[in-house]
Amino acid sequence: MRILLISLIAAVCGTAIGAVSALWMGGLLSGGLRIGDSIKVDDWSSDWSIGSEAANPYVRARIARVGLLALRKEEAVYFNRAVDDEGRALTEACTYRVSAGALPAEWWSITLYDRDSRLPMNTDGALSFDATDAADLGDAGDWSFTISPAKGTGPKRQWVSSKAADVFDLTLRLYLPTDALLDDPAAALRPPRIERLSCEGGV
Amino acid sequence: MRWLIGLIVFVLTAIIAHLVVLNSIPAKIMSTAMERMADRGIALNGWTAAPRITPETQTVVRPSPDLSYAICRFDTSDGPVLLSAPTAQTYGSLSIFDDRTNNVFVASLQDGSDFEGVIAYPPGNPPIEEGRGYAANGLNTVEIDGKGLALIRRLAPDQDTHDLAAALIEASRCEKLGR
Repeated sequence: MRILLISLIAAVCGTAIGAVSALWMGGLLSGGLRIGDSIKVDDWSSDWSIGSEAANPYVRARIARVGLLALRKEEAVYFNRAVDDEGRALTEACTYRVSAGALPAEWWSITLYDRDSRLPMNTDGALSFDATDAADLGDAGDWSFTISPAKGTGPKRQWVSSKAADVFDLTLRLYLPTDALLDDPAAALRPPRIERLSCEGGV
Repeated sequence: MRWLIGLIVFVLTAIIAHLVVLNSIPAKIMSTAMERMADRGIALNGWTAAPRITPETQTVVRPSPDLSYAICRFDTSDGPVLLSAPTAQTYGSLSIFDDRTNNVFVASLQDGSDFEGVIAYPPGNPPIEEGRGYAANGLNTVEIDGKGLALIRRLAPDQDTHDLAAALIEASRCEKLGR
């Protein structure tokens, strides 16, 4: 009788720990473990198995949670970054300058998302910066834009609003990436830099 | 001895629960997304143009505000489904996802693409088999077991280009094929 009781308690505890660890390792719990960022260029991370049947169950679970309906790498690749050039978390309290040059894809965009992987709830109409903006500003090979909660004095299309974002991250989408990028991302991609310019209250 | 048995039971149930929960996450999230789409009036076997992406209109995680989206929920349980969309000047794609979130098919919709359409068919019933009342000549095929989602993405960073992209939905098809 006692062995049955012990087995029952062990089974209940095992099931609970197994289930919670799956949610944690699959990225469904806040602050959970991140498995599957197999590609890292500076602080931009990605995984080429996204969207494909080759994705391991941890990558598949995390992408279902934070990037449902992501395309496979031949069509688009996704890089995420949540820190500035000094490794500090990106936050609404600060102003940043994001800059780079030509990127190895037919078209690209950089979009700001809050900690819930949502567009921040503001009406600024400044949610992303893309290849069209860079080209229209005059030099697709040398571009920059500002991230801040309020628009400064520069052109609107050179500004991405972080208003109501709190702590945020950026997603760099590269559509129809070049073969060189897929073959050797570290060599082919000169990823955007993120400089922190100032912070509210001098943080 | 009984503590050793307890330990073994604990480890085995933990591993099994871990694997079961982990592998059920994508299908559960996809199923929930499809149910929400149905609740919002996104038809089965028909394209629905999504409104321009803003913080207020976003319905899935990490939508791109630079793209226009059209969605078709489909189900191959009762037979194959034909999906197509016209090409356009700027970047666009038609992609298909199975109920485990795999991107099982993608085609370019940009001018120059030779994409004419794709038939999603249930396992064991390839559309190229003779005598089924339709042909797959010139069309792509992809095997999907049951429910799937198709998505048209088109480059549309402003309202005018979004409206142009939305207007192309009328010339797009997502429909069950007769036998």
